[in-house]
Amino acid sequence: MASLYVHIPFCQRKCVYCDFYSIETVALMDGFLDALEREIVLAAPRGGGATFGTLFFGGGTPSLLSVAQLGRVMSALRGAFAISRNAEITLETNPGTVSLETLRGYRSLGVNRLSIGIQSFNEDELRFLGRIHDAPQAERCVGLAREAGFSNVSIDLIYSLPGQTAVQWDATLARAIGLRPDHVSAYSLIVEDDTPLARMVSAKLVSPNPLEAEASLYEQTMGVMARAGFEHYEVSNYAMPGYRSLHNSAYWSHEPYLGFGPSAHSFWTGRDGEPPLRWSNIPALGRYCDMLRGGEMPVASRESVTRTQLCNERIFLGLRSAGVDLSVLEREFGIPADRLALADALVEEGVAVLEGTRLCLTPRGYLLCDEIAARMMV
Amino acid sequence: MDFSYEVSRSLAACEGAILVVDASQGVEAQTISNLYLAIDAGLEIIPVINKIDLPSATVDAVRGQIRDLLGCTDDEMILASAKSNIGIDEILEAVVRRVPPPSGDPALPLRALIFDSVFDTFRGSVVYIRVVEGTLREGDRIMFFHMGKPFDAEEVGVLEMKRLRTGELAAGNVGYLIAGVKDVHDTKVGDTVTSASRPAQSALPGYKEVKPMVFSGVYPTNAEDFEDLRSAIEKLQLNDSSLIYQPETSTALGFGFRCGFLGLLHMEIVQERLEREYNQNIINTVPNVEYRVTKTGGDVVLVDNPSTMPPLGEVAMVEEPFVRAQVIVPVEFVGNIMKLCMDRRGIYKNTTYIDPTRADITYELPLSEIIFDFYDKLKSTSRGYASFDYDLLDFRESDLVKLDILLNGESVDAFSSIVHRDKAHDWGKRLCVKLRKLIPRQMFEVAIQAAIGSKVVARETISAMRKNVLAKCYGGDITRKRKLLEKQKEGKKRMKQVGRVEIPQEAFLAVLSMEDE
Repeated sequence: MASLYVHIPFCQRKCVYCDFYSIETVALMDGFLDALEREIVLAAPRGGGATFGTLFFGGGTPSLLSVAQLGRVMSALRGAFAISRNAEITLETNPGTVSLETLRGYRSLGVNRLSIGIQSFNEDELRFLGRIHDAPQAERCVGLAREAGFSNVSIDLIYSLPGQTAVQWDATLARAIGLRPDHVSAYSLIVEDDTPLARMVSAKLVSPNPLEAEASLYEQTMGVMARAGFEHYEVSNYAMPGYRSLHNSAYWSHEPYLGFGPSAHSFWTGRDGEPPLRWSNIPALGRYCDMLRGGEMPVASRESVTRTQLCNERIFLGLRSAGVDLSVLEREFGIPADRLALADALVEEGVAVLEGTRLCLTPRGYLLCDEIAARMMV
Repeated sequence: MDFSYEVSRSLAACEGAILVVDASQGVEAQTISNLYLAIDAGLEIIPVINKIDLPSATVDAVRGQIRDLLGCTDDEMILASAKSNIGIDEILEAVVRRVPPPSGDPALPLRALIFDSVFDTFRGSVVYIRVVEGTLREGDRIMFFHMGKPFDAEEVGVLEMKRLRTGELAAGNVGYLIAGVKDVHDTKVGDTVTSASRPAQSALPGYKEVKPMVFSGVYPTNAEDFEDLRSAIEKLQLNDSSLIYQPETSTALGFGFRCGFLGLLHMEIVQERLEREYNQNIINTVPNVEYRVTKTGGDVVLVDNPSTMPPLGEVAMVEEPFVRAQVIVPVEFVGNIMKLCMDRRGIYKNTTYIDPTRADITYELPLSEIIFDFYDKLKSTSRGYASFDYDLLDFRESDLVKLDILLNGESVDAFSSIVHRDKAHDWGKRLCVKLRKLIPRQMFEVAIQAAIGSKVVARETISAMRKNVLAKCYGGDITRKRKLLEKQKEGKKRMKQVGRVEIPQEAFLAVLSMEDE
């Protein structure tokens, strides 16, 4: 199955922790959409033969698109690619930016999954993170989503803010679960380079939560979500049965995807029997538009993925999510025999279980995921 | 000490020697030891004071030192600066005038001294010789005195920048001989080349079998590189016949070799050559000396690997090699040097003065106490001014015990060492602390213990890894994440798995750099 990703690079205001590309001049949206349409047309031959099972609007803030603007993009995409009739179409939403009318509009265009960026229900935390909404707005947004007809709603949360206690996080989790979402993504706060948060940390205005605290909060999250009936299907993702994010699962199952818009990434088969390619678009709106005006694909960097690299990707992506099928790994990449011994050692250690030939991490294993991945990789 | 035998054989091939003393450093410990070798060999000594151009040169002081050492006059000393081309002609003139011509009857039976050799992959052993008596011609059937096997002299010549074939070498000449010798052990430095058909009555004096003094285990970091390492050591030994080695195994490190070196310097050279010239990724264990262990039953065994030390209950007596060490140092550092030697179980013998500012201190020390970081400590407590040389004395009884390091209850043989009982606790503690810092967190807690037999003398704990996972991984993160993990993986490849614990290479060298922490 193939996937499509579209990056909408506009935000009303940047949050302190975010390192995704976006700018605050929302007025440039239409100009951007002109360039986006050009990019889609240029990419059509490449994606010609495939059927796309998921489409994801990320960013930035995709919910800054008016219904008409989203309509433009959807037409362009449907015109260029074969998107399956029951494809999962997700749109990321910021609670401060949508009305019931807009959400109904999105629904009518075929969007069938909403991912709402709430992050926290604690007002102090929301201010710290730089979010433009408050807790009541966030709750209302979930309600509006249901009213607009979305039966697949996900909530994004962030934990391990500096000094955050287990009690505070518990409160946020409880309130989130209380809204009865179908899916929850919970990430620990990461200090990414070149963000306002990173600058606050190096100026010693903020000190990140210690590793011990972060680990405890993670364990707490796993416990709470499990008790609430969610399946823990990826390091940071929890879903009610039947409501896993198919689009993100495509990343973790190592399936191909095409990305559009500034900073978007792609992973696609190479031409004429060449190895698969990963490439990413220019993370700057101006240059992105210029290149497309000149008829050029707005690519910033690309790499050919070697067999060893593919094997390693399969391993770490699998360990984070559905596990790694060792017999498939052996068949496709011919992994060394000692990896099988390693698998046994991991099971004995209590960080993994073997379901047939599939090696899956236990909750304790998830905490040490990268360490385990580094061991298994070739 | 390491190379004094070879130096003595090279000197035996000469009539004269130029003693070069650095004008800014003056006479050092190795100056003296090498000088004595030259005097013993009856060489004419031409003293040269070099680097007189340096601002820190103290020519008069150095003159005084040389006067005391050689008993010569100031006119006999030549002042020079090789860099600034001062005094070179004078030196060459002095060589011509003062060094006596070689003596030796070219008609007598052949006796030629081997003072060095190199191995040529195509031609075999190329020996460098000084013909003392007789004449060597190509085609002659020759023999090496101590080895007894006959060979044909295929090629004979002199040594310029390259080999220059002359076909003949007569008494007094220095040159090379190629005789189709494929086994490097057939040509030993110090041996005598003679004619197989008309052999000399006796060999030239001074031949000695050199014995290794310092031992260590050399292991490939990756087990699959064992054969490459074996091949590299074999090749290295062709040009360094004083290196001995034999295969050994370690439960911690797998298959490797126990190597014997003439001394520390020799060991360092070999290790560096294996890494640089032969591209080997190696782990060296703690270097140790050879101990003479008398067991309770009366048997005497030689132990060159701490892990083969008999169990505590079976040991009646342990003897270790002692050396006489000579340290030359400015007087203001005498106190520091004496403290250092005392810390190393040294027995003070004597202090003399080379001049009013320099002391020459003699101590008797256990060789094991100086085989690592003694030289570095010496330099650092004397701001680099101390110089040092040593000679083997004898084996003496000491209260020595085997100190084991256990990780989660299992002894890691590569970390075992033999230490003096009084130092065991302190040493054990320092080693445990060092290892705690060098061994990364594992997925479980690690208990590090130092023990003598079953008695634990020190302990440290490494707490388990708590969290090592990145929260987010979407389409745009995959390449970056993969590269990060690939780097982590590379780091792991340099580690050794001992039981369940991953140990970095550096940990095995930890004992080698036990600074005061």
